[in-house]
Amino acid sequence: MMRIGLEVHVALPTKTKLFCSCSTSAKEPNTSICPICMGFPGSKPMLNKNALAIALSISNALKCEIPKQISFVRKVYFYPDLPKSYQITQLQRPAGVNGSVSYNKGKVGIRRVQIEEDPAKIIREEEYTLVDFNRSGIPLVEIVTEPDITDEESLRDFISELKSILYYLGVDVEGEFKADLNISLAEQRVEIKNVTGTKNLIDATRYEIERQTSVINSGQKVKPETRSYNAEKMITESSREKESDEEYGYIFEPDLTEYDTDGINLEKPTYASVMAAEYSSKYNVDGTLIKSLIMFDKNALAKLEYAKDKHNMKTVINAVELLSRYKKDFSNEKFEELLKTIEMGAYIDSTVMNKIEIGEKIDINKGVRIEDIDALLNSILSGMKKEEYKDNKKVFNFIVGKVVKEKKANPKLVAERLKAIIDKV
Amino acid sequence: MQELKKINGELNAFSNISTSVDKFPFSVKDNICVKNVETTASSKILKGYIPPFNATVVERMLEKKFGFLGKTNMDEFGFGSFGTNNENVARNPFNNEYVAGGSSSGAAIATSILKYHVAIAESTGGSIATPAAFCGVTGFVPTYGTVSRYGLIDYANSLDKIGIMARSIDDVKITYDTIKGPDRYDATCTDNKIGNHDNKKIFIIDQMLDGVEENVRSHFDNFISKMENEGYAIEEKSVDVLDKAIASYYIVAMAEASTNLAKYTGFKYGFKNEQYGHGYNRFFTEARNEFGKEAKRRIVLGTLVRSASVKDKYYIKALKIRRIMLNELNKLLSGGFIASPVMPMLTPRIDDSEKLNPVEVYKMDKLTIPPNLCGLPHVSFPIAYRDSMPIGVQVMTSQFNDYAIMDFAKIWEEKFEYKYRYNIGEL
Repeated sequence: MMRIGLEVHVALPTKTKLFCSCSTSAKEPNTSICPICMGFPGSKPMLNKNALAIALSISNALKCEIPKQISFVRKVYFYPDLPKSYQITQLQRPAGVNGSVSYNKGKVGIRRVQIEEDPAKIIREEEYTLVDFNRSGIPLVEIVTEPDITDEESLRDFISELKSILYYLGVDVEGEFKADLNISLAEQRVEIKNVTGTKNLIDATRYEIERQTSVINSGQKVKPETRSYNAEKMITESSREKESDEEYGYIFEPDLTEYDTDGINLEKPTYASVMAAEYSSKYNVDGTLIKSLIMFDKNALAKLEYAKDKHNMKTVINAVELLSRYKKDFSNEKFEELLKTIEMGAYIDSTVMNKIEIGEKIDINKGVRIEDIDALLNSILSGMKKEEYKDNKKVFNFIVGKVVKEKKANPKLVAERLKAIIDKV
Repeated sequence: MQELKKINGELNAFSNISTSVDKFPFSVKDNICVKNVETTASSKILKGYIPPFNATVVERMLEKKFGFLGKTNMDEFGFGSFGTNNENVARNPFNNEYVAGGSSSGAAIATSILKYHVAIAESTGGSIATPAAFCGVTGFVPTYGTVSRYGLIDYANSLDKIGIMARSIDDVKITYDTIKGPDRYDATCTDNKIGNHDNKKIFIIDQMLDGVEENVRSHFDNFISKMENEGYAIEEKSVDVLDKAIASYYIVAMAEASTNLAKYTGFKYGFKNEQYGHGYNRFFTEARNEFGKEAKRRIVLGTLVRSASVKDKYYIKALKIRRIMLNELNKLLSGGFIASPVMPMLTPRIDDSEKLNPVEVYKMDKLTIPPNLCGLPHVSFPIAYRDSMPIGVQVMTSQFNDYAIMDFAKIWEEKFEYKYRYNIGEL
């Protein structure tokens, strides 16, 4: 039986680093650094409480148990990207344990969620190596799953579900989404380190499944090892790392205290896929379509919530789809305008969307202005007596037909305008 | 100033001295950062490290109009009890063939030779009490967490305490009130209420007199009977967990030290390796040759006790013992004070101290370790002179009763006649 587990690393959306007040958004190398994130002798870390709150919110959203107090440890190893030669991370009492993520077909256990600092960035040139310490101390969470994923499709669904949950907590899931993959088809576990991006994760998994299958089919045993993914060749390669368990000599981080988790305001999680299913059953609409609209779009979800009981749900979905297609962020007022326009049966394209956006009174037809329709209607009516058209369905339809033909206008709109004019007479 | 420089040449108190000071002068142990002043913790590996910031204590002293006088000599990174683990061996101001005590050797010498001065020093396992006793001055170590460690070059973070040496308790108190209090740059320095108690009781602990040399013991007994005359009740006690103090202390201290020293890899500050063509493992290993022998020993031992296979047996167990010891001592000390000698023997000669093996040296910290391991406030001050060399006593009390310990010392100070070999006045 195939078992796949992930260790996902994501950066937390904070303005400042995990243990100092340096900005997290600097561009030029080595411009957002200070004695703390450079590990200068004498400096001490101070925990970014906002990072803690976000990490706990993630842990909560992944249905983890959150310890009453959390603590930090030093993980000691030597590498040029690690200014203190130890990384401050968590071991006992991390931000969360024993959680889970549910997706359409199944459920993946979350073993732990832990807070840690990112090392600096290594840039390898041919003749030398550069280190950019802007990244040193960026707050990360590591999310470790149980090996509960059993096929490629589940992996894809799980990643999408996880990313959506993180997206709704403000995490930039479009940015670097890094993970280590554990894949075992038989007893032997193979770890693929540092795979970046969803596509590479899927490709690496597919390759590794094929590779391990052919090893097993040839009657051999899969070697337990660490591999890396070569995105160019789309293959995994054996890493020349030593196979022994790494010795990190963890000790408690004595510069930080234990932090109470009670009383920290957790952000309410949003499970977009669950909401899509609810909309689907309550309003009898296409759940897959709604899901695709709201998984990674806060504005779309907000608009659905705003309009769900005011308008026909199909119209609302249509409107949200248009916002998404034309990348528009409408106020509720303009969104109402859009809904009204749809309800009139209009064909809507980018010109129409732009007009609604700038607040121009629009016709539902391309190139036809309501004023023009009104003008034509008025001119027709002016040549007739009131008794001829008032309460006369036949004449009414005749006039509508004439205007529709002449202006290539939408019948529904023309009828609406005509009724308005007659009512005023 | 000239006189100070001359005497300093003989005793190695300061690693650098300001050209002039026009305010009440304070010195800073060389493991505490002073902005734009070379700060090396007396280690070759930090030669040339110019911190771009002030330690919080330094910032607070400068704000209160004290004048920075200079950096004081120490055992490398605080690793030592005699002031001899460094390039320039510190010498006792009463007789320069004797040790000054360590690791805050320079702070003690400076206090002993300067009439108007306070020293900002630091203690991990006895680094204030011991040199204060050997140099005949008052050394005060506050409750852990009442003075910010921001800017202190770490030895063992859960044990390091910035403290004070001075010629009078009044000077200690003024300085403590200047530097204490919470600091947003040190998560372990919180807003604690620092108080007092007036329990006139002294506990004498069996485990803290066991193995004390007779010529030290007699002066100590004499001190106790004088305090009895001052109205203190004396009670003998046994605290069994103290037998494990030395082992627990050195395990925690070395485990933390070995992680703190990992950052000195020879390319960002202090010593620069410059052999950039070497692979990283070779590069930082070469840089670590700059560490002194004792630092290397503590890296090896510290790395061992926290390694996965023995961590529970050593590191985790030591932390548990510390917790038990703190609870027991705190409970006892809420009813008074514990007094003991500072070191089980008289001040050694420098050449004799060099003959001791490391374990023999570690064992001499037996009496200073309990309050340091538990972060309890304690003070060391002279109680007698023997062959013109001072002998000190150590007194500790419960957590956050820092003023109680000062009041205790003040009672003695008012009766006792202090002696100094040097008395440098205005600078």
